[in-house]
Amino acid sequence: MNRLIIENLSAGYGAVSVFHDVSIEVTEGEFVALLGTNGNGKSTLLNCIMGFIKPTRGRIILEWDGKALDLTALPAHEIVRRGLSMVPEGRRLVPSLSVEDNLRLAGSNPVVRDRLSQNLEYCYQTFPLLRERKAQLAGTMSGGQQQLLAIARSLMGVPKIIVVDEPSVGLAPIVVSQVIEVIRTLQKDNNLTILMAEQSFLQAIDVASRAYVLAHGRIARNFDRSSGDIDHDDIRRALLGAA
Amino acid sequence: MTQFDLFMNVVATGVLLGSVYAAVALGLAITFGILHIPNIAHPALVIMGGYFVVHANRFGVDPLIAALVGLVPFYLLGMLLYSFYANTFERRGRADVLQSLTLFFGLSLVIEIILVLAYGSELKSLTAPYIGSSLRFGPLTIPSRLLVPAILGPATVGALWLYFRYTNSGTAIRAVAHDERALSIAGLDPAAIKRQAFGLATATAVIGGAALAMIGPIDPFSGRFQIGRVFAIVVLAGMGSIPGTLVVAIGLGIAETLIASYLNPAWSPGVAFAMLLGALALRPQGLFGTVR
Repeated sequence: MNRLIIENLSAGYGAVSVFHDVSIEVTEGEFVALLGTNGNGKSTLLNCIMGFIKPTRGRIILEWDGKALDLTALPAHEIVRRGLSMVPEGRRLVPSLSVEDNLRLAGSNPVVRDRLSQNLEYCYQTFPLLRERKAQLAGTMSGGQQQLLAIARSLMGVPKIIVVDEPSVGLAPIVVSQVIEVIRTLQKDNNLTILMAEQSFLQAIDVASRAYVLAHGRIARNFDRSSGDIDHDDIRRALLGAA
Repeated sequence: MTQFDLFMNVVATGVLLGSVYAAVALGLAITFGILHIPNIAHPALVIMGGYFVVHANRFGVDPLIAALVGLVPFYLLGMLLYSFYANTFERRGRADVLQSLTLFFGLSLVIEIILVLAYGSELKSLTAPYIGSSLRFGPLTIPSRLLVPAILGPATVGALWLYFRYTNSGTAIRAVAHDERALSIAGLDPAAIKRQAFGLATATAVIGGAALAMIGPIDPFSGRFQIGRVFAIVVLAGMGSIPGTLVVAIGLGIAETLIASYLNPAWSPGVAFAMLLGALALRPQGLFGTVR
């Protein structure tokens, strides 16, 4: 079974611990939501998985095609090359580069650069808007369009798993629904594997097949759509840290 | 010679001199303008490049060919310098500007001493068929010792501009100026990209050095007179703008020659800073820079 395993992970900044003993799993083809109110460690956890923050304890293992890769000690760009890609909070595009240059940048690492033009074509087919605007500077597009570009960019690395951090931040509510809908359609049509952190849980829970709730730095609950409908009140209670 | 002819000659000389300044400042436009590393050793590296060309010239090698050959060792030297800088400074959190300045100040002293020990402190010059003669275009008299080096500046600017615009690694260097994390997300190692950029910047030092040595003889300390000028050009151009570097360098060359010819040659070193002060008061992001 192809999956990403987070085992007993703890991390913090200096003496301040952000989350402890977190264990989650993402299996190929799943859409997993990571829910939690602000400041409960969702972003820290995702940044830990991507290698931007070093965990103080625990392991991150990528089991794929019968091989188990330990990602725990790797720098971010090595993790990306091994098949995790990220749609970061705030998008982190290069505003002074054109849309196409932003995509090319993500498609030019040694693992995928042989297929750069095919991957670029795939992105343009999936997001025709980006083809129309390929010469435009990324910084001059609207927030929603930038979010689409950030999603397209994550596809340029031909990822096994896409880690999406708070796609709703800084976007108008109607644009949030559109962006989440795009992610959902993309996931369904291409059988992508997604781990998405989001605080506006109502929208996230509708598209996810499973969800973890992070409260006070621990996994408080987990929900699975296959074992019946997910009760919104249940999630709300877990988000607020009730047992 | 009429007043107008004199004026035309002064402007033409200024353009040529400015093009040479561009060749000298380009490396700093990359290290300081894009990587934000205050590499005040760049002018010393330029003079070291000049000595490389002078050395090869002693064996009868044409200065232009010597400069082309020198690109490779200087590129490698630059990568080595960056690795040292990154391991000693950047790895421990953010590199402090004052510490970096001290490191590169020390480096420029070391380079000067090495050059003095190896070649002595007297002036060294180049010989080539195109150094010494003069060309006449109507009323303009242009010494070829200025014309050939003046072509090197725009040629290098053009080559770098194409590289930054049309290659993947050039795009990555432009991106690293903005956001290192954007590179990591793309699966590219920011440290490797910066090392490559620093190598490239150091490689241009040979071209700048060849240009300076063609204009006139150099000694190990010639770089010192360029430090203020090249920093002024890079900041005035708007940190990291490659075409801007050429335009500003030429503007500075014209202003310096005008002042030297009509007022007093002793004032020309101050022109760069006067222009810098004036321009930054009106446009803090530099003439060709964008607001960050």
